[in-house]
Amino acid sequence: MSVLTLERVSKRFDRTIAVDDLSFSVEPGTVFGFLGGNGAGKTTSLRMMLDIIRPTSGRIEVLGRAPGRENAADIGFLPEERGLYRQMTALDTITYFGRLKGMATADARREGAALLDRFGLSANIKTTVDKLSKGMAQKVQLATALVNRPRLLVLDEPFSGLDPVNQGLLEEEIRRMSGTGSTVVFSTHVMQHAERLCDRLLLLARGRKKFEGTLDEARAELPARLTVVARQDPEKVAGVESASGQGEAETGWTRWDVRLQPGVAPGDVLERCVADGFPLRRFEQVHASLHDVFVHIVGTPETQA
Amino acid sequence: MRNILIVAAREFRQIASMRSFWLTLLIMPLSFAIGGFAPKLIHGDDPSRVMVIDRTGGGEAKAIEQRFTLEEGRDELSRLSRYVQRHHLERADPAASWAQHDRWYTDADVAAFVSSGGVASAKAKIARVKAKDTPEFEASKPDFEFVPVPASLASAPDARLDDALKPVLKPADKTIEAVDYVILIPATFGQSPVVRLWANTQPSPGFMGPLQEVLTRDLRTRFLTGQGVNAAAAASASTIAPALAISTPPPGGGAREAMLVRSILPLAASYLLMISLMLSGSWMLQGTVEERSNKLLETVLACISPQELMYGKLLGTAGVGLFMIAVWIGCGVFAAYATQGAISDMIRPALDPLTSPGTILALIYFFVVGYVTIAVLFLAIGAMSDSMRDAQGYLMPVLLVILLPITILMQAVVAGNTGGVLLEVLTWVPIWTPFAVLARLGLGIPTWEVIGTAVLLGVFTAAEMVLLGRLFRASLLAQGQRPNLREVISRMRAVPG
Repeated sequence: MSVLTLERVSKRFDRTIAVDDLSFSVEPGTVFGFLGGNGAGKTTSLRMMLDIIRPTSGRIEVLGRAPGRENAADIGFLPEERGLYRQMTALDTITYFGRLKGMATADARREGAALLDRFGLSANIKTTVDKLSKGMAQKVQLATALVNRPRLLVLDEPFSGLDPVNQGLLEEEIRRMSGTGSTVVFSTHVMQHAERLCDRLLLLARGRKKFEGTLDEARAELPARLTVVARQDPEKVAGVESASGQGEAETGWTRWDVRLQPGVAPGDVLERCVADGFPLRRFEQVHASLHDVFVHIVGTPETQA
Repeated sequence: MRNILIVAAREFRQIASMRSFWLTLLIMPLSFAIGGFAPKLIHGDDPSRVMVIDRTGGGEAKAIEQRFTLEEGRDELSRLSRYVQRHHLERADPAASWAQHDRWYTDADVAAFVSSGGVASAKAKIARVKAKDTPEFEASKPDFEFVPVPASLASAPDARLDDALKPVLKPADKTIEAVDYVILIPATFGQSPVVRLWANTQPSPGFMGPLQEVLTRDLRTRFLTGQGVNAAAAASASTIAPALAISTPPPGGGAREAMLVRSILPLAASYLLMISLMLSGSWMLQGTVEERSNKLLETVLACISPQELMYGKLLGTAGVGLFMIAVWIGCGVFAAYATQGAISDMIRPALDPLTSPGTILALIYFFVVGYVTIAVLFLAIGAMSDSMRDAQGYLMPVLLVILLPITILMQAVVAGNTGGVLLEVLTWVPIWTPFAVLARLGLGIPTWEVIGTAVLLGVFTAAEMVLLGRLFRASLLAQGQRPNLREVISRMRAVPG
């Protein structure tokens, strides 16, 4: 059974359509990336999953139920815009959110203390938030999302504003949660994080779904590319769409950037080169980055506008 | 309900952790304590010293001193009469002037009171009938003390008195007691009305009134005898005065003082409601603005509904307000027990309204519902504001609209004005209803009016909760500029879900 299902969900604010006929589902244990530029509808979609706002039309199911606070005990949420009660201590803050998620005070305090210890903040348990550094406060905020050991962790742009150390910590926590069978849904517009973490991706532009699938499936959306070192222009080889010279690799040999025709596998081209006696000193497949896929499918921010 | 209580507890703890909360909590009893001592600190206990240089032979000086003694006797008799009335001690001597409260005490009454032994004699009679826990009557110290004229001044020519009196009014040696007033009655007094007065401070009305009266009377007597009227008739003509019979009708038990004493509890409830609302409401406002400006709301709203958040905040703030009131009442009770005097003397009759279950119910209902009615307004303002500066823009007009008429209302009630169009308007407009009804409870308000306003207030508060609840929900995550009136109305009309 899917942890999260959206069926033909739309959300309209006055005359603006923030989310348009969005459908997808997330399977248990998956790290699911919600990708899109600014204003793509990511935050609106996540808020609808959490019942912070309601959809204009369509159906949402979270953990087998309609969105609502009865799911709070099984959900962890880290919003894009973060803040904490400045006068509360780190442990009290985590305990407070744990209790709002239905935990007993003692359990919430115990789990909160364990999380602070894991994040290297055991000495700051009783420090009020206004006396913590920004990085420390970010860890406390993450702990408020994790305190109830959620079955579904929803993270809205979780890496924005984090220093590199905390980015690493968050990646580690996402992997840890996934490893324990929890499902992680996170939105981002930083493709490197999605590339490293996601099992499945959804690309969103202007509220509409543009792609859903695995990273490999996303890459397959782009024609394969090769880096080849050859004496002659490889453009004549069957299956090659274009080739451009990148300069001399060594005396008499040139480095070529080769673009294959859609549907042609690099192995087929290599086989043809061998069969045709086309001399090669290097034949290397270049994997398309998620960034390339994103730009190919969604377009640059300028083209989206 | 669990989430509401969790939010309420956090709100309470947050406010209680503020230094300003504890300072405010202590300021109220402290200011009352200081207020109690202030008159003594300002005026001092020592009587004003008066010297009369009488060049007419001493008759005027004697008349002035007698007059002041008489006024002090009248003051003492009036105080004793109020004490007897408050504690229902008339049976000690029903024929005594101090057991009759329905008239202004004449000079003859005062003279009879003094000649029958004054306060000491009255206290002896009262002691035989008064209960053990009834406080003793405390005789007051005289306001004025007449001092003899030194020989050097008595023989000094009038023209030299200005210089001669300087060391008397402002002695260089601090161990010598200054004279506060020096009166010179010239030898020509009668032919000329001129009397000179030196004072080391601005003369008090309590001094000038009797002095003027004595001198005027003597001038008139002298004038009449000069016109051929015999001395006895002239003296009588100068002392003719009406005997005023005073009666104050119920409600409140008769005398205005008793009415005011009975009004203390309802008036205090109204006043405390206002003070605690202003304080705890502004702290709640700060809390809500903090949640918005610190981008906390989304995290909170992922766990609990906006309604739970709203009710939790209201409950927490109401808890703070009630805690403050409980502490203040505790301080009052402590003061009453500690002093065993004037304060407990006042509190006992002030608690009279609590013997009526209807009044108790009305006190609690209007206090609690009034609290919610106004607190919801603060909450909605907080939800619409990104910063305290933003919030001030909404808060000031709202506070002025609520508080200005209430201040006028309180003054009217203290002055004993129970009728009037303004009082009725304030009673029936729901945002002022709790204050007006609470303030009027002690002075008497028709039962139908209490029930009618209670129903109206309940309906208004329910509608307010629905509309401002929608505004609260719609405003929580809204961003951008401060909403205008049109936007506010549109948010109130937006049905959630």
